[in-house]
Amino acid sequence: MSMLSGLVARARSLFGSRASEARMEEEFEFHLEMEAERLAASGLPPREARRRALVAFGGLDRHREEMRDGRGTRLVADFASDVRYALRVMRRSPGFVIAVAITLGVGVGVNGIVFGYVDSILFRPMPVLNAGQLVGVFAVDGRSGRPGLLGYEDYVDFRDRSGAFAGLAGATGVPLNLVDASNGSAADMVWGEMVTENYFSVLGMRPALGRLFTASETPEGADPFVVLSYESWKERFRGDSSVVGRVVRVNGAEFTITGVAPKGYRGIRTFGFWPELFVAVGMHGVVMPGSNNLLHGRGDGWIYVVGRMHPDWTEARTESAARVFASQLAHAFPATDFNLGITLVPGATGFDHPGFVKPTVLMLASVMGLFASIVTLLIICANLANMQLARAAARSREIAIRLSLGCSRARLTRQLLAEALVLSLPGALVAFVVARLGPLLETYMVPHLQFRVGLGASMDYRVALFTAFVALIAVVLFGLAPALRASRPKLAPSPASVIGTRSQVTRPRGRKGGALVVVQLAMSVVLLVGGTLFVRSLFVARSIDLGFAPANRLLLSVNVGLQNYDEARGRRFYEQVLTRVRMLPDVVSASWMFPVPFDSYGRGITLYTSGARTNARNGTVATNASFVSEDFLQTLGLRLQEGRTFAIGDSLGAPDVIVVSRALATRLWPGRNAVGQRANLNGADGRVLLVVGVVGDATFESLGDRSRELAYVPLRQHHRDWETLIVHTRGDPMLTLPRVRAVVAAADPALPIFGVSTLAQSVESGFSTSRTAAGVSGFFAVLALLIAAVGLYAVVSSNVTERTREIGVRLALGATPAGVLAFIMRGGARLGLWGLLIGLFCAVGVARLLSGLLYGLSPSDPVTFALAPLALALVILVATYLPARRAVRLDPIAALRSD
Amino acid sequence: MVPRRPPDSDALRGSLDLLVLKALSLAPMHGWGIGLRIQQISRGRLEVNQGSLYPALQRLEHRGDIDSSWQSTENNRRARVYRITTKGRRALGQEVDKWKRFADTITLILES
Repeated sequence: MSMLSGLVARARSLFGSRASEARMEEEFEFHLEMEAERLAASGLPPREARRRALVAFGGLDRHREEMRDGRGTRLVADFASDVRYALRVMRRSPGFVIAVAITLGVGVGVNGIVFGYVDSILFRPMPVLNAGQLVGVFAVDGRSGRPGLLGYEDYVDFRDRSGAFAGLAGATGVPLNLVDASNGSAADMVWGEMVTENYFSVLGMRPALGRLFTASETPEGADPFVVLSYESWKERFRGDSSVVGRVVRVNGAEFTITGVAPKGYRGIRTFGFWPELFVAVGMHGVVMPGSNNLLHGRGDGWIYVVGRMHPDWTEARTESAARVFASQLAHAFPATDFNLGITLVPGATGFDHPGFVKPTVLMLASVMGLFASIVTLLIICANLANMQLARAAARSREIAIRLSLGCSRARLTRQLLAEALVLSLPGALVAFVVARLGPLLETYMVPHLQFRVGLGASMDYRVALFTAFVALIAVVLFGLAPALRASRPKLAPSPASVIGTRSQVTRPRGRKGGALVVVQLAMSVVLLVGGTLFVRSLFVARSIDLGFAPANRLLLSVNVGLQNYDEARGRRFYEQVLTRVRMLPDVVSASWMFPVPFDSYGRGITLYTSGARTNARNGTVATNASFVSEDFLQTLGLRLQEGRTFAIGDSLGAPDVIVVSRALATRLWPGRNAVGQRANLNGADGRVLLVVGVVGDATFESLGDRSRELAYVPLRQHHRDWETLIVHTRGDPMLTLPRVRAVVAAADPALPIFGVSTLAQSVESGFSTSRTAAGVSGFFAVLALLIAAVGLYAVVSSNVTERTREIGVRLALGATPAGVLAFIMRGGARLGLWGLLIGLFCAVGVARLLSGLLYGLSPSDPVTFALAPLALALVILVATYLPARRAVRLDPIAALRSD
Repeated sequence: MVPRRPPDSDALRGSLDLLVLKALSLAPMHGWGIGLRIQQISRGRLEVNQGSLYPALQRLEHRGDIDSSWQSTENNRRARVYRITTKGRRALGQEVDKWKRFADTITLILES
C-alpha cells in the first residue's frame, strides 16, 4: 500500500508537475507567513519579520530545485533537452544518420524475420487448450528404428485400452472436391484433414464460429459434418457468419458446416498443406473413395496421432507407458505388430513425421538461425559503436569541457544514450519495414504447390515485441559503450589541454577494433564461400541430365474417385480422354501417369523376388512406382535401354507386365539381365509380374535424392483413381490447355481438374529447396560482407581522424600523397589479409560440413575458393581507399592545427 | 549543465528524517509546526534549516512513511498537514533502536 502510494505520488508529480509546483509554492508561502507572524508576535516590524523568516528558511530556490529533483521532473526535462540536442547533432551529419538507419534497420529487421520463423516452428503454441500437454505419437519399427504411422486399429487400442494418454486423436490429410452450391462456384480441389471424431475435444479447441463436432455426434457411422479452417472461412467464404449450417458438397456428398476452427490453426502437421476442411473419419467412404478398409489394419498405417498427456505426466513417463502397451500389442498381433514400437515427439507447436523432419534438427536449425542473426546484430552494434567512438573522439573537447564544468558522468551517459536513442529511431522504423517482409519472403521461398503450405509466419504482436526489444538492446549496446568510454575521465583531455591548442594524444583503440574487424572479415569469408558453393551447386544441378525431357509437357490431374466412379467407368473415362487428346492439333503424344517427376505425391508397390537382396523379413522390396499408359516413354522423353515398352495389348486379361528403371533392375537382379525376370506383387504368392523392359534412370524426386529406383506399372492392368495427364505438345503447352480442358469437361463436366502446370514448372519448383538455400546463404554472405566493409571503413576512418596531425606532419615534411595513401591503406590491408586467411581456413572446414547438401559439386570447388577471396579483396580495397583518400586530400597546414 | 548536488551525507539526511518522524509521531502537523516542534524538543539546541524540511517531507511521503492532506488551520488558512503512517511508525521504531545501539556502542568505547 505504502509503496503503491509512493508510486502514485511520483506518477502524479510527473504528470501534474504544474499543479505540484503550485502546491509547493503555497506550502512555502504558508511556512514563511507563519514564521513571520511568529516573529512579529515577538515585537519585530512586519518587514523585518518577513526578512528573518526568509533567512531562516534558507535559499528558497535551492529548496525548490531539490523538491523538483525529488519529484523526478528533472529527468524528464533533461531528457527533452538531450533529445533536442541530439536532433541538432543529427541534422549536421545526415550521411551518418542514413548509414545507421540502414545497417541497424537491416540488422534488427533480420532478427525479427528469423524470430518470426522460429516462433512459428518452436514457440507459438497451437490455438488449443494446454498445448504443452500434446505429443505426436508415431509407430517405430523395432528393428530398423524407422518411424512410421500407426494403423487405425492400433490407434483405437491405444486410445481405449492403453491408459497412457488422457486423450488420443488422429488425422490425415486428404484432397477434397468442394462445391459451394450456394454461390454456384465451380468445383475446386481443396486440402482437408480427415480427423477422428474426438479430434477437437482432445485438442481442446475453441471454435471461431459455430461449434466443432464431437465424438458423440459423429460415431463411426458419422454424420456429414464439416468444420472450416479460419483461412478458408475468411477467404473462400468471405468471413460470412451465416456460413454455419450451410450445406456444401464434398466429393459429391452433402455436408453441413458446423463451425470454424480457431484462427491460426493449420492442421496438426508443421510442414503439411494447410487444411481448409475438417471432416470426420467416419465419412471416409465419401472422403477417400474406395478406401473401404480404412478403419481396419494394424502395423503400417495412415494416421497421424496426437495425444494429450495425463496432467502431471512427463513425456518420458508417457512414452514408457505407451511402449509397454505397444509390446502387449506386439504379442497379441504378431502378424502385423511384431516389431511395433512407439516414439513421441513434442506437439505444442504442431509436429511432423519424425522420419521427415527430426525435431532436434529443427530445434538446432532454429537456434542457429537466431544465434546467427543475433551475432550479426552484435557486430553491427560494434561497428556503430566504433563509428560513434570516432565521432566521440572528435567531440572529446566538448565532453572534457562538460566534465570539468561539473557535469556528472551519469548525466553525460544519459545524454549520449539519449543521442543513441534518437539516432536509432529511423533504424527502428527501417527494422519494422524489414521485419514485415518476413511473411512476404516466405511466400516467395515456399514452393507454390497445389495447396497452400508454409510456416504461417506473420508480423504479429510477438514478432513486433521481439523486434522492439532487440532494437532497444541494440541502442543500449551501441549507445552505452561509447558513452562509458567517452565519459571516462582519463580518456578525456585535461582542461588545460582544452584551453591551449595542443591536443592530448590519446591511444587509439585500434587494437580492439582491429581484432573485431578481423573476426568480421573472417566470418564474411566463411559465409561468402558457403553462399558461393550453394549458388554454384544450384547451377550445376540445373545442368544435370534429369533422364527425361521437361520442355513442352503439360500436366493436369484428376481424381475420378471424387465422382464415385467405379472401375469400369473410370477406365472408360481414361480411355475417352486419352483418345481425344491425342487427336488434338499440336499434340505429339499423351499419357496418363502418376506420379510424374517432381510430383508432390508418390505411390509405391512392394515386390517379391526370390533371391533379391532385401532387408524386410518377408523378402519383399518396397519401391516407388508410377502407374502409366502405354505412351509414357515417348511422352515423358525417357530412354528405353532394353526390351520393350508397354502396348495397348498389355491390358486386363493379358499377362501382367512391368518396366523397371536401370537402378531398380540393378538392385533386384544385380549382374543379370532384368528383361524376362519375374516378381510377385505384395508378396511371394502375389500376382506375377514379367519384366519386359528397362528404361534409363530418371530423377523423380528432389534432386538430392540418390534413389532412382522406379517401377512403371501399366494403368490398364492396375486401375487407380488419381492420375495425371501428361501431354507432349509442339509449342507452348499452355496454349493447348483450353482444348485439353474441354476434352475432360466433355467426358465429365462435374469432375474437378487440378494440378495444372507444365513439367518444366514442376521441375523448377523441385529446385526450390536449393534455390532457397542459395538465396538465403547468398543474402547472408552479402550482408556479412557489407557489415565487414562498414567495420573496416570505421576503423580506417577513425584511424585517419586520430592521426590527422601526424599525417599533416608527414605531408609538410614532404611525404607524397601516394606515400600517405599507401601508408594508411597498408594498415587496413593488413587487417583484411588476416581476416581473409583466418576466414579461408575456417571456410575449408565449413565447406566440408556442407558437402552433404551440395549437389554435384566438390566442397573444395576451386572456382568458389578463387571467387570469394577475390570479392573480399575488392571490398577491402574500397573500404580502406575511401577513408585513406580523405587523408591524402588534407591541407597540411589545417591538419597541423587540428586536434 | 547541472551543478553537482551539494554533498549532503546520508547520515545527515537520515537524522533529519528521524527527527521529522519523531515529531509527527506525537501529532499530525504542518511543515512549519514540525520545524517548531523539533526546535522545542531539542530545547533550541538543534537549529534545522527550515527549508530543508520540505525535501525531507517529500522523500518520506514517497517512501510511504508519512502521508499528507490539505486542511484548514484554526485561523482559517489552507495548510498541508502531514501524518505518520503505520509503516512510518515501524520505521521510526527501528531507526530509534538502531540509533540507541549506535550511541551505546560509541559511549561504551569512549568510556572504556
